[in-house]
Amino acid sequence: MATGQVLVKKPGSTTDPLWYKDAIIYELHVRAFHDSNNDGIGDFPGLIEKLDYLQDLGVTCLWLLPFFPSPLRDDGYDISDYASVNPSYGTIEDFQRFLDEAHARGLQVMIELVINHTSDQHPWFQRARQAPAGSPERDFYVWSDTDQKYRDARIIFTDTEKSNWTWDPMAQQYYWHRFFSHQPDLNFDNPQVLEEVISVMRFWLDMGVDGLRLDAIPYLVERDGTNCENLAETHGLIRAIRKAMDDGYLGRMILAEANQWPEDVRPYFGDGDECHMAFHFPLMPRIYMALRQEDRLPITDIIAQTPDIPESCQWGIFLRNHDELTLEMVSEDERDYMYLAYSADPRMRINIGIRRRLAPLLDNNRRRIELLNSLLFSFPGTPILYYGDEIGMGDNIYLGDRNGVRTPMQWTADRNAGFSRANPARLYSPVIMDPLWGYEAINVEAQQSDASSLLNWMRNMIALRKLFQVFGRGSLKFLEAENRKVLAYLRELDGERVLCVANLSRFAQPVALDLSAYAGMIPVEMLGYVEFPAIGSQPYPLTLGPYGFLWLELQPGEEQVEVPQPVAAEERLHVKDERDWDNLLTGRGGKLVEKLLPEFMQRQRWFGGKSRSIVSAKVMEWALMEQGRTLLAWVRVEFSEGDPDVYLMPLGMSFGKEAEDLLRHAGNSVVTQVFSKDGAGVLHDGLMRDRACSALLAMIANGERVKSQTGEVRGEKSRFFEEIEGDPAEGRLPRRLTAEQSNSSIFFGDRMILKLFRRQQNGPNPDTEIGKFLTEKTEFRNVAPFGGSIEFVRHGGDNEGATLAMLQGVVQNEGDGWAWMLEELDRYYESSVAAELPELGLAAGATLREKLDEIPESAREHAGISMEAASTLGRRTAELHLALASDPDDPDFAPALLDGGDLVALQAELVQKATRAFDALKANLARLPDNAVEAAGLILSRRSTLLERFSRLTALGDAGARIRVHGDYHLGQVLRAKGDFVILDFEGEPAHTLTERRAEQSPLKDVAGMVRSFSYAAFSAMSHFMARRPADAQKLEPWARLWESSVTAEYLRAYRETMGDSRIVPQTIEGFEVMLRAFTLDKALYELTYELNHRPDWVRVPLNGILYLP
Amino acid sequence: MPATDVAAGTKMTTEQNSAIELLIGVTGDVNPVDLRSRAAAAVAQSSLPVRASGQVVVAWPGVEGAGVESGNGSAPTLIPYRPAATNEAGPWAQISAAQRGILTLAAEVKAAACIVIGPDLKALRADTVHALGAPVLDRQCDLVMPIYALERYEGLVNTAILMPLARALYCKRVQMPLALDFAASASYAERIGAKANRGLLWPAIAAAQETMQVGQVHLPVRHQTPMEGLDLTAVLTQIVGALFLEVERTAATWQRGRSAQPTPVWGQPAQMHESEETIEVRPMIESFQLASRNLDELWQLVLPPVTLLELRHLARCEPEQFKMADRIWARIVYDFALAHRLRSISRVHLMGALTPLYLGWVASYVQEASMMTAEQVVQRQEQLARAFEENKPYLVSRWRWPDRFNP
Repeated sequence: MATGQVLVKKPGSTTDPLWYKDAIIYELHVRAFHDSNNDGIGDFPGLIEKLDYLQDLGVTCLWLLPFFPSPLRDDGYDISDYASVNPSYGTIEDFQRFLDEAHARGLQVMIELVINHTSDQHPWFQRARQAPAGSPERDFYVWSDTDQKYRDARIIFTDTEKSNWTWDPMAQQYYWHRFFSHQPDLNFDNPQVLEEVISVMRFWLDMGVDGLRLDAIPYLVERDGTNCENLAETHGLIRAIRKAMDDGYLGRMILAEANQWPEDVRPYFGDGDECHMAFHFPLMPRIYMALRQEDRLPITDIIAQTPDIPESCQWGIFLRNHDELTLEMVSEDERDYMYLAYSADPRMRINIGIRRRLAPLLDNNRRRIELLNSLLFSFPGTPILYYGDEIGMGDNIYLGDRNGVRTPMQWTADRNAGFSRANPARLYSPVIMDPLWGYEAINVEAQQSDASSLLNWMRNMIALRKLFQVFGRGSLKFLEAENRKVLAYLRELDGERVLCVANLSRFAQPVALDLSAYAGMIPVEMLGYVEFPAIGSQPYPLTLGPYGFLWLELQPGEEQVEVPQPVAAEERLHVKDERDWDNLLTGRGGKLVEKLLPEFMQRQRWFGGKSRSIVSAKVMEWALMEQGRTLLAWVRVEFSEGDPDVYLMPLGMSFGKEAEDLLRHAGNSVVTQVFSKDGAGVLHDGLMRDRACSALLAMIANGERVKSQTGEVRGEKSRFFEEIEGDPAEGRLPRRLTAEQSNSSIFFGDRMILKLFRRQQNGPNPDTEIGKFLTEKTEFRNVAPFGGSIEFVRHGGDNEGATLAMLQGVVQNEGDGWAWMLEELDRYYESSVAAELPELGLAAGATLREKLDEIPESAREHAGISMEAASTLGRRTAELHLALASDPDDPDFAPALLDGGDLVALQAELVQKATRAFDALKANLARLPDNAVEAAGLILSRRSTLLERFSRLTALGDAGARIRVHGDYHLGQVLRAKGDFVILDFEGEPAHTLTERRAEQSPLKDVAGMVRSFSYAAFSAMSHFMARRPADAQKLEPWARLWESSVTAEYLRAYRETMGDSRIVPQTIEGFEVMLRAFTLDKALYELTYELNHRPDWVRVPLNGILYLP
Repeated sequence: MPATDVAAGTKMTTEQNSAIELLIGVTGDVNPVDLRSRAAAAVAQSSLPVRASGQVVVAWPGVEGAGVESGNGSAPTLIPYRPAATNEAGPWAQISAAQRGILTLAAEVKAAACIVIGPDLKALRADTVHALGAPVLDRQCDLVMPIYALERYEGLVNTAILMPLARALYCKRVQMPLALDFAASASYAERIGAKANRGLLWPAIAAAQETMQVGQVHLPVRHQTPMEGLDLTAVLTQIVGALFLEVERTAATWQRGRSAQPTPVWGQPAQMHESEETIEVRPMIESFQLASRNLDELWQLVLPPVTLLELRHLARCEPEQFKMADRIWARIVYDFALAHRLRSISRVHLMGALTPLYLGWVASYVQEASMMTAEQVVQRQEQLARAFEENKPYLVSRWRWPDRFNP
């Protein structure tokens, strides 16, 4: 090259120089893929026809086995002409066309560069054997007068070769060959040989080939006294080849075939100046071993032995290829085990390995095939698929050599598997024809039309892997779970983390993983994008089905929201330090904060005004705590329509690493950036700082008080605080609950929970008020114990205060009553569906007394534990009501008998609500689901009869009393704990005003709520059950109604029994029934309105509820 | 002038003016003399910190024989650009090719900022040039997208599909992801202009791909839509089909984002133009109802049973009760995007099958919006965009595991 001349490197088909790291390589033989000219041999035009299939499969790089002219005594690895195409497969023009077509589809192409040896038919060898000894022509190969040189080199093809030397009668010398005797090794001690090899390489790279697989590279150079493998001179040759590639070309790749231990393969990467890729041979047999032994150790062991490789390099990993499943890189014991485990028939064995395809090796078990492919796609390296394995093709162990895994691709169930239209006798190899593996059973066409086929599964998995660069480029870390049948590892790249968990066992397995380093993150199952529970500090439990696997993307727990930047430097918020609230609450800073608050509030889960347009958001009151580090702010939000709301917002400022962490992991909690002399920081939700949370707890524990503009914030603990707190030495690290909607909760250790009420209303919060009353003034213990609260008291001492936060003891439980009851119902339906429905013998208009007395025994048998639970719940509900009515001297809790005036008002209110519900039903009649129309029509026709129920209220002489009630009572508000129930959440209907929620009412309103909840549970569980067993739909409905009526009756019986002669409920059963029916109808109509507006598919539940009211 | 001469001219310009501050490019045929003088006036009156002569270059598509005309006096330098090659037909494809050509030229001359102006030159005014150019020249963002002042029922393809889909997927709250006018920084022009042509240019999506800062400005400009006169299916094919292609191409990126992030907005929204024209929804509903009878088989190849059931219910509704829920619409769009990728049916038929569904949405929207104030209309659009965001996991899961056996 002349001085100053610029060498233009020839680009490859892709611009990313590291493309091979993200590739999915598909290995195929042109001969075996598709025959276009019906001569029984696959060819390039045939391969071109199938490129759309390969593109659709999603592979990105095609690796072609040798397609050069050859006597074909070693499947084409015996090349007789390096720069041409075997005429059976087409012409060099056909190859060029194939290359262009592949590139047009975004596919790269890798071909073989077999440089260790040629065929003995190659002109170089024919010339060499005829040339005089010592001549340059003769020196193209390795000759010797004796067969005793290089004696330390092992024989590789032990089944066919006895020596690495073969006598050539024409040359009158021995020639060297590491493989078959018809494959003489080239002599790289002759510089001309390297020149020729490089010129062959350039020939193909100039055509546009993207990658070269260097075959058998450990054996290029021989030296006496060595095993003639991996010699330093060999590495020198590879560097020269690589340099020639780098000097002239861009975006190309060399893949080394070196069947060696990882530490011996490592030098083939050099310092990134030898091969770009190398096969990881020892990993492959160990994957099979781990699977059969149901133990991850073989895999973790070999990965531990695998050294790091240069950044630009990559391992090539595979499950099967065109050769035998090689067992060279395992110990003798392991080899014996593998033979026993995977090659029962000796014909399955060849050389030092097993000549079988993937699916037969795994006994055609789909789960095993999927599991191994999931490992292939998620282990570090570039996965290489062998043609046909994507459809689970079989093999033919009765064919010689390794030809049993090289049979024609099975495209269709037509003649010759759609591979060729030639006479079957003319095929280069018989197609697989046995009943299990034959092409009629396993072929591409059939699997393309089967949505659940292995082919479609593979296509989806390939597409998924391609979405995540972390699989090709990320780091790997194994997680040492106790259960060794489970393999768990974490892949990580630039903050992207994927947790892979695989069950190597044929049975379901549990595992608990230490993911505490990722506490707060949410694992999202990657195939279905399903969120799993957030990671905590405790071991993370998972259960995997037989051969199951999970890919979980670890996502930040908080949605990452970019904090809007102020648009100009003059609009930045400047503060002196983290306590400088003046600059944020007044003047220019105050205005900026007000500008930012609406957007911030819209992002918060607890903000209830998302459907309304915010006009303004202003800090109307504040108090400082934690020595001024946390600001408790009351923000008044004005909307374009409707009343304003006030929200409680603790705020904090953080700088340095704390600010960075918040931006990275909890961006949603950040209001905006702030700037101090120490640099940039963030203004954020104060609860994100542990110290602020602890300060709130301390405020309760120590009864602290802080001033605000118009009042005082007071902490106050209950007399049970110490009992709830337990031993302070146990640690009280705050942990935020992320799933909550309208409030914010913080756990302190596993004993206490603090609930911060976000939406503030004047007056005591009923949850706090009732929790405190029950805990401190009554003996009722089936509630979460009240530990204390933080209250705001306005100056002047009137009733203008509000509850800011409440502390409770944590109740250990088995889930809420709703989930528990659904599980019980599932068992109930399972046992009932085949049984005969018992005769009830009750008339449609049976009285409550009759219903209570007539619970059929068989219903008790089937409903089992849910009947007992209903009884317990009835008892606890009554005890709750008795406790709430136990203090006649407390003005907020004193019971008062319902008089005539109360009943008239109640009737009017219920009639008004019912009328609205009936009108809504009528207006929506046309939109109802088909299965609800009839019931809706019936109800509308009975409108006046139903309304009459309310008029009977005013005729009651004894209607019981008004007391404080739960207010929003249903199965979701109770916890199942130790065979009993604990009642929670006394906040009342969130949509109602505080005054409405604190108003005294008949306790039967709660009872009606629970009765309706039973109805919902019965229907919901039935829908769930029917989804699995649609054929049983007809039988289930009467059983559902039986369960509902029996459980309701049992609940009411226990409630009345516990209530005894208390005057808070009507004394007569008739009076009780009138009240209950009125409240149940009211509740069902409320549900009806709700479902019409939100879930029309569920409208059948309240409709049926109204038709079958107790 | 041959292409090489343009290149040489460009090079010369670059060398002579090492600090070109602003390149203004126009994406259609214009009179260069008129263009030059209007650009000079707009820049001079814009109060941008640039001199029309020397620091400003005006780019136009050029004609045979056109060359570089250096600036003199107050006149900026005029350079012809070469639109990027495109195989796509349709007005937006041509506009995108021109936009790419302008960005490429801006990168070549190393302009600090580049303002792309639609062919009608309506945005070539002092106030709009200032609004678009200032945030880029102030280095506050790499891309400034316009928010045009529209009539109540204008730009409904954008309202129904482009905006909510692009916003949910690419996590940038950009009101108009396909715009005739926008401004870009030097680094944007360098990175995006150099990219091979891949269909329409979605400036904000390209910025999101490169994690560049995006801002928006309210522009008191009203353009004639480039798709005027085309039938609806052709519009959907050319615009929505192009967006679906972009979605397919960028799948690895958009599946990472979880929530749409706000972008800074400059300027005050203009008063919504109120047209006297009323929209007759009945024909749209009838078109939807007819399609629900005739296209049921096609829809079954694209939509899951639960959506089909909802559509059946909807087809039975009286016109005054006809309301397509946002959730259903969002999922329909997502299912069509997926079917476009999977080629479940030919893409031509697919977009044809989307047309009556879109009309159904328009009918539903028009009935609602007709009773709303301008502010409520904005809120309503926001509500739709949030429905797309909330249902994004639905698309991700369907995309990752496109099993026909789904609810």
